[in-house]
Amino acid sequence: MKVIKNIRDKIRPHFAPGGKYEKLHRVWEAFDTFLFVPEKTTTGGSHIRDAVDLKRTMVYVIIALIPPLLVGIWNTGQQYYQAVGIDPTIQEAFVFGFMRVLPIIIVSYAAGLATEFLFAVIHNKEVNEGFLVSGMLVVLILPATMPLWMVAAANIFAVIIGKEIFGGTGMNVVNPALLSRAFILFGYPAYLSGEVYTYTKVQEGHQLVDGYSGVTPLSLVAEGQTEALPSDFNMFIGNMPGVIGETSFAAIMLGGLFLAITGVGSLRIMLSVFAGGIFMAGLFNILALNEYMMIPIHQHLLLGAFAFGAVYMATDPVTAAQTGKGKYIYGFMIGVITIIIRVVNPGFPGGVMIAILFMNVFAPLIDHYVVEANIKRRLKRLKHNQAILKK
Amino acid sequence: MEELVNIFVRSVFIDNLVLAYYLGMCSYLAVSKTVKTSVGLGLAVIFVLGITVPINYLIDNFLLSKGALSWLGPRFAEINLSFLTFIVFIAVIASMVQLVEMVIEKFSPTLYNSLGIFLPLIAVNCAILGGSLFMQERNFANIAEAFSFSLGSGVGWFLAIVGIAAIREKIRYSNVPAPLRGLGITFIITGLMGIAFMAFMSIEL
Repeated sequence: MKVIKNIRDKIRPHFAPGGKYEKLHRVWEAFDTFLFVPEKTTTGGSHIRDAVDLKRTMVYVIIALIPPLLVGIWNTGQQYYQAVGIDPTIQEAFVFGFMRVLPIIIVSYAAGLATEFLFAVIHNKEVNEGFLVSGMLVVLILPATMPLWMVAAANIFAVIIGKEIFGGTGMNVVNPALLSRAFILFGYPAYLSGEVYTYTKVQEGHQLVDGYSGVTPLSLVAEGQTEALPSDFNMFIGNMPGVIGETSFAAIMLGGLFLAITGVGSLRIMLSVFAGGIFMAGLFNILALNEYMMIPIHQHLLLGAFAFGAVYMATDPVTAAQTGKGKYIYGFMIGVITIIIRVVNPGFPGGVMIAILFMNVFAPLIDHYVVEANIKRRLKRLKHNQAILKK
Repeated sequence: MEELVNIFVRSVFIDNLVLAYYLGMCSYLAVSKTVKTSVGLGLAVIFVLGITVPINYLIDNFLLSKGALSWLGPRFAEINLSFLTFIVFIAVIASMVQLVEMVIEKFSPTLYNSLGIFLPLIAVNCAILGGSLFMQERNFANIAEAFSFSLGSGVGWFLAIVGIAAIREKIRYSNVPAPLRGLGITFIITGLMGIAFMAFMSIEL
């Protein structure tokens, strides 16, 4: 550590105002604070002194994303080997998946961060850490079959339109990762149709098993083949076709637990998304007009990206509702709309991501009315108290 | 009944007047600075659309379109007055708005005070005329369907303007790049809202 610090102290003057690379000062700063805690300390006044700044918070989310990422990597390999009829060891599956997922991660970060650094240098403001999380989230909500240029294009679009023009991290209205996915969903729907989510480019010496389809469970249900669903256990651990991060309920719960304990993700939102999903799925169960309405509630929660959306996407502290009560309403509506889109909308196989995007847009409205209601309640109490005092 | 609900949901989310057809943009952009005023304007739009579209439906089907006058006798079956559509629809809208304004002023001063300013504004709102013209184009089977469509369109417009007003209140403190401040960023948010509303695309009840 000492060596790094010495090197850093030596080259720092070049980036300081007046130095050789003055223009790149913000880039320097971004990497500098990665390695060393900012040197500024608060002086005077009563402040909470804590090491948790924006960058640390983001790193916590990335730690929480590790379990679904690892299972997703394993599952990418697992699905491929199942498709060619080989029973792989965990190691083989993992290595194969790693070779497929790693390029997507690299491209996602490179495209997004390059855009972000460019903006920071042009506008001479601090580099936003937000994309560290967004870049990983994007990877986890795309299938491993995604062409890399499309990942790059979607990320650049999402960073510019979704975030930078609003003033950067903390100012955005919609979640950039979701916008990135929506860009692909509406721009190139064939790649996100839920048809074949496993790696289909067969290697030399391998051959696809007869009758292999690789359709995601959600598409199976949409076609009415509810009996062809994977077993509950496979859905729980994540052995089914799907986008990289969504398949494993167990891994997502592990990450969710971490987020909830550290207080980075809002437990209220997570729970109310599940409550909304259970409510709507139960309602459809009672109505039972077609086969899709009759899938058991617990399968609704295991299927598709429901859990992933609830834990990682809905809890985004910037785009979610900010008020306590607002969070319950926001989460509940996400759960309800997700199940509605799934069951009633034949256009998309899955609905969580787009449901969260929809509620992102209405989160400020929810907050507005929660705050209004609070003001009204307190005014009423004030008047009541004054009336009592007068007596 | 199912058809009515279907038309309603379609016109709220999928064929949203603002987000899918970009109608009524002028008042949508001008009045969406605060939630409170936008709620007023939104309610007024629901109200006026809900009244004028069914009336225009009757006028269109019993007076203007080809063969609509056949109820007067066989001699009138060939008459086609549809070239009068625009002017009649506009006249209906303007006079209805005036009438509604006077009635509200007389009977509910509080509602008049909250809607008052917006009602005359709405007479020239293209979403209202657009609603009537879409009604004509889509050939609704009966007046109930036309009413369901007009109510849905109004609610869709209401949702859009109230939603964007809340967002604009929220981003007031954002550091938006100078060239985009004001209308520029509002247009972009409208586009993002349009993407979000596509969630309900191709929904079928």
